[in-house]
Formats: sequence, structure tokens, C-alpha cells
Amino acid sequence: MAVQTFLFASLIIFSSIESNHGATEVSLFTNLENLLEVTAKPTRVGVVWEAGKDIVRITWMLKSSAKVNDDAAFKTVEVKLCYAPISQVDRPWRKTHNELSRDRSCPHKIVSKPYDKIPQSLNWTIDRETPTGTYFIRAYGTDVNGYEVAYGQSSDAEKTTNLFSVEGISGRHTSLDIASICFSVFSFGSLLVFLVKEKRKAKLQQRK
Amino acid sequence: MASNEEGSIGTSLHGVTAREQVFSFSVDSSSQTLQSDDPTAKFTLPVDSEHRAKVFKPLSFAKPHMRAFHLGWISFFTCFISTFAAAPLVPIIRDNLDLTKTDVGNAGVASVSGAIFSRLAMGAVCDLLGARYGTAFSLMLTAPTVFSMSFVTGPVGYLAVRFMIGFCLATFVSCQYWTSVMFNGKIIGLVNGCAGGWGDMGGGVTQLLMPMVFQVIRLAGATPFMAWRIAFFIPGFLQVVVGVLVLTLGQDLPDGNLSTLQKSGQVSKDKFSKVFWFAVKNYRTWILFVLYGFSMGIELTINNVISGYFFDRFNLKLQTAGIVAASFGMANFFARPFGGYASDLAARLFGMRGRLWILWIFQTVGALFCIWLGRASSLPIAILAMMLFSVGTQAACGALFGVAPFVSRRSLGLISGLTGAGGNFGSGLTQLLFFSTSRFSTADGLSLMGAMAVLCTVPVAFIHFPQWGSMFLRPSSDGERSKEEYYYSSEWTEEEKRQGLHEGSIKFAENSRSERSRKVALADFPTPETRTPTHV
Repeated sequence: MAVQTFLFASLIIFSSIESNHGATEVSLFTNLENLLEVTAKPTRVGVVWEAGKDIVRITWMLKSSAKVNDDAAFKTVEVKLCYAPISQVDRPWRKTHNELSRDRSCPHKIVSKPYDKIPQSLNWTIDRETPTGTYFIRAYGTDVNGYEVAYGQSSDAEKTTNLFSVEGISGRHTSLDIASICFSVFSFGSLLVFLVKEKRKAKLQQRK
Repeated sequence: MASNEEGSIGTSLHGVTAREQVFSFSVDSSSQTLQSDDPTAKFTLPVDSEHRAKVFKPLSFAKPHMRAFHLGWISFFTCFISTFAAAPLVPIIRDNLDLTKTDVGNAGVASVSGAIFSRLAMGAVCDLLGARYGTAFSLMLTAPTVFSMSFVTGPVGYLAVRFMIGFCLATFVSCQYWTSVMFNGKIIGLVNGCAGGWGDMGGGVTQLLMPMVFQVIRLAGATPFMAWRIAFFIPGFLQVVVGVLVLTLGQDLPDGNLSTLQKSGQVSKDKFSKVFWFAVKNYRTWILFVLYGFSMGIELTINNVISGYFFDRFNLKLQTAGIVAASFGMANFFARPFGGYASDLAARLFGMRGRLWILWIFQTVGALFCIWLGRASSLPIAILAMMLFSVGTQAACGALFGVAPFVSRRSLGLISGLTGAGGNFGSGLTQLLFFSTSRFSTADGLSLMGAMAVLCTVPVAFIHFPQWGSMFLRPSSDGERSKEEYYYSSEWTEEEKRQGLHEGSIKFAENSRSERSRKVALADFPTPETRTPTHV
């Protein structure tokens, strides 16, 4: 048993040494420049949007304040749905991290498009699997190797303005509810049937 | 003059080996007729005077002993799957129900708290109604709560359902009770260890099973937020099936079902108040309560937090985190039986004192590795620490139930219940203290929990049996108090002894002589040379 544990452990150790080869420098959020202008406009105003139903019009383009060759490195633009601070409270699995590879605040990918100098837009139906929460939209400009070089977001730097709330699907369904009730009744019922049967058998035996 | 005729004075060898049945108090006629028929012939396995099996054959399904063993551990296994079914799916559930870390932590506490009460109740139910009904009630009355996960929409509902599902962990008590009445004291450590360990494996299997079931349901086309609810139907259905099996195939006691035996007068009905009083009065019960809280308790806590820990800290995928988490629970397959076996082995060499030392060693070593797990920042080291931690802690659980059956004979069920409840209490406490707030990171919580476990294992040094001793003290030298009969019959009042109600305890005391260390046991038997025949 101790031998098995040792072998298992050494397997893990060697496989992890393998995966550590080729580690390059990490990209930090603070190193990125805010070069993109991102806007997110809902088609329905004043209501909480529903996942899978409501549509958001997202546009992104290079900021007018950007210098001439700032966008030379851009290859693709990745647009992501990010959690606003209020949806991160007491939820360490959504924590913002400066190291982009460890950042968990923008887990939902909206679209990834090749960069174009002209402004681009998208009518995005909020994904059905989006959880309930408050969000904003961020776009990362990535280079040839896939590393982020610049970003832009629909909210301000403190992530307090232009936030929108999404209501996720409940995941419940009438058919599930009915199945649940049926199985429960079956469970209670079969227990009762057994108890009654055994009591009857014991009474018969006693009479003998 | 010594004659060679059979039956003449001086030729009888009765009492020489000291293994013959000798009762200090008179026996009543019904048990006499039982012995003359040699009913032990109807059992497949060799049995002792209480008809408990003396041999453990895990691959057999023979009535009634091995069947009870298998039904017992499978029931317990199924309940573990249900109770911890939510844990590997928490990353999905927390998004569906918009839960915070506090919500998740509180639900984890709730999932183990319900069983504190149900395990106590189960102890009484087993003593009074039998292990079969206890197990079936637990399985089939909590199955609806598993199905009701389909109705949950927020943190309150989630917590309520996990609380109710947690009640089914009472099957632990009925399982251990069932094996304790079916198997002899010499092998009880190993048997209880196997039953407990293989049942506890459910906590590991669920970490693999639920993500797999979830994945299959998703592939069939369901959204994640619906798939996890459908996945809960699997453990619920399993519970119902096993409940039916227990009722149809199981048997309470080696000689038959409890109600039948009680009606025919072979087993006397005991009073709950007496059973309860003698369990509560015994200080050893409470030490075991605390000890189990920090072996099984931290095991239950780990079942709730470890999958999420690996998912969040090491960025593993849901299924991978599930596999790692599962290895913790799966180690139970050999670790807990090993603990029970080590306890039995130590008892053979050093008696009860050996059992107590083994318990302390395993539990402390396990807790030390738990501290290491929290400190580990690389995945391979974390896995290594987790595996060593799991073996130590689970072996301690097995070793503890090598001691528990000897604390009381009259209140065996209730003591199993109280000890089991202690496990849940410890789990609720550690989850509340270390894993429900954002005060500690999960990693720090693990280390602190390990440190607390080391401290709370020290009380085992205070468990003292007058007839067998304790970790640091020798057995009592007083002639009367150093006898097993004295200890076990002190649970009955004089009035009850006069009525002969304590006979079961006397039989048990006889069979528990095995808990003396080898040296003492040998010295106690009169050597043949000293017994000179009266006529030469």
C-alpha cells in the first residue's frame, strides 16, 4: 500500500515537471493599455435581462485617442463577459487577479474576431448558460501568439458604471418536479407496504 | 481412587482450558434447551456462544452474518453517495443558485448536522426495533429529500435540502450495530473497519460518479442548470433499491428478527431510559464522541471541500478535481479495514491498551498530514499529503470502532449512535469554524483543522478500563474490579440481575476476555498441575 502511494506520487511529480517546461513570462493586466472603445447597448431597457433571450448590441473599435501604430500588434479581438464587483463579493472563485492567466473575473467568452481597423459590432444573445449576476463587457486585443496586449471595457476603471444585470435560467422544469414526486411516493409507499406485510405475518405467527 | 470410567470424579476435564461456558449467575431453562439442540450447526460460519460469527469471509453472502455485513455496508455506502452528491457539482450549483462562499459553507455544515440527531435516534431505534428497520427507515424516508433537489431555487432551499438529505447518515450507526451483533469481538475491529470503510468509500465514489452522470446528461442535451438536478435522481433511486433489499433479505440477529425473538422471549425488551442512562453516564462515550469528531469529522468535511479546493486552487477541470477528490474517499477501501485489523492485532498482543495506542497513533499522524496538505502549494505535493492524510485518518476511524463495542454491552446501539453523532458534530464544527467564512483561505482552513485534530486526539489517553487498563495505566489489581463480568454487569441494577436480564452481558464478558494482553490472559488460567484430583 505504501509502495502504491509512492508510485502514484512519483507519477504525479514527473508529469508535472513535464508540464512546467516552456513557461514564459506572464502577462499582467496592469501592463495593458486601454486602447479599445467598447460599448454595450441592450435592445430592451429598464428590465433585468434574461439569459438565452435578451440581445445586447456590442461594438468595439480603436479609441480615437490612440496613436497611429498602437494597433500594429493586434491580431484578434476577444470579447468577454466579466463580473462586476458586486457579483464577486464573498465569491473567491470569481476573484480578479492581476496575472491574466490566473484571473477569474472574465470567464465567459462572447466572441473572438480578427482585428479590423473599422469599428465592429455584434448582436449577441446572452448565452443560456450565463449565471445570474451583474456584468460588464471587456475586449482584449491579442497578438499573434495569443497574449493580450491591450484591452477596452464598457464600464469605467472602477467598474461602477454601465453595468447590467442578467437573470440566469432556473434549471427547473415541470417534468422534473413530477418525476420527483412520483419517485418519493414510491419510496414511502413501498416502505409502508413492507411494514404492513410484516406486521400481518408476525400476527399470524403469534396466533399459531 | 481415580477410575478410568467415564464420568467418575477426577476424570472430567471441564474447565481446564477455561474456554468452556461458565456463568457466574444461574441461567434460565430456555437457553438450556437451545444449547442441547446445538443450533450452531445451522450456521454456515463458526459461531460463538452468542451465535456471532467467529470468522469473516468477505466474499460470502451466507445468511445471516455475511448477508447482514453486505447489506449494512452497501446501505451506508449509498447514503454517503447521496449526502455528498452536491459537493463535486458545487461549481455548477453555485452559479445556478447564485450562492456565496458563506452559503456553500453553511450548506456543507447543514449536510452533516442533521445526522447528529438522526444518529442518536438510530442508536435507540436499533436497540429497540432492530438494525433492519433502522436501515430501511433511514434509506427510504430520506430518498424523497434527494429527489427534492429538483425544486431548489436559492441558498435557503439548497441548505434545507442538504440538511434533510444528511439525516440518512444515520445508516452508519445501524450498519455498525448490525455487524457488532453478528460478529465476535476478536474480529470486530476488522469487520467494523471493512463495513465502515467500504461505506465511507461512497464519499469518494460520489466525487467521480456525480460529475460523470452530469456529463452524460449534458451530452444528452440538457443545460448544466438542469443536468445537475437530474443527476440527483441517481443516488435517490439507489437508496430506494437498497432499502427494498434490506427489508427482503436482511435479518436483525443471528437467531432471527428482533420482533420474533422478543415475542418468543429469547431476547428481552429493554427500556430506553435505562439504555440511554448507561450510555450517557459512561465518560468513555464522550471521549469517543470527541475523538470521532476529529477523525470521521474531518473526513466528512474534506468530502465537502476538497473537490472545490482542487478546482479553485489548482485550476483543475471539474472531472479532474472530482478524480483527485475521489482518491481521498476511495482510500477508505483498505485504510479503514486496515485500521480495524491493526486494532485487532494490537489487541492480540497487548490487549485493549494496544487498541488505544493504535488509535492515538493513527489519528495524530493523519492530522499532521492534514496540516501539510494545507501548506502544499504544488499539485503533486498536495495529492501526496492528501493520500497520506486520508490513510491515517481513515485507519483511525477503523481503530476507534475496534474500541467502541467494548465500552458497553447494554447500550451498544446508543453508544454507536453517540459516537457517530460525534463524527458529524466534529464535521459541522470544523466546517463552521474554518470553511464558511472568507476569514481563512481554504488552504489555511485545512492546516488549522489538522492542528485542532492533533489537540483533540489527546483525550484518548484518559480512556481507562479497570479490567484492561489504559494507555498509561495498568489494569486494576483489585480482584473483583479486574473482571470483565464486573464491568459489564455494573450496567444492570440488582433487581434486574435477580431477574436474569443481564445474561447477554455475562456472555459478552466471557467472550471479551480476548481484550486482556497475552501475558495477563495466560497468567489467569489455572495450570493443570495445580489442580490435583481429590482422590488419588
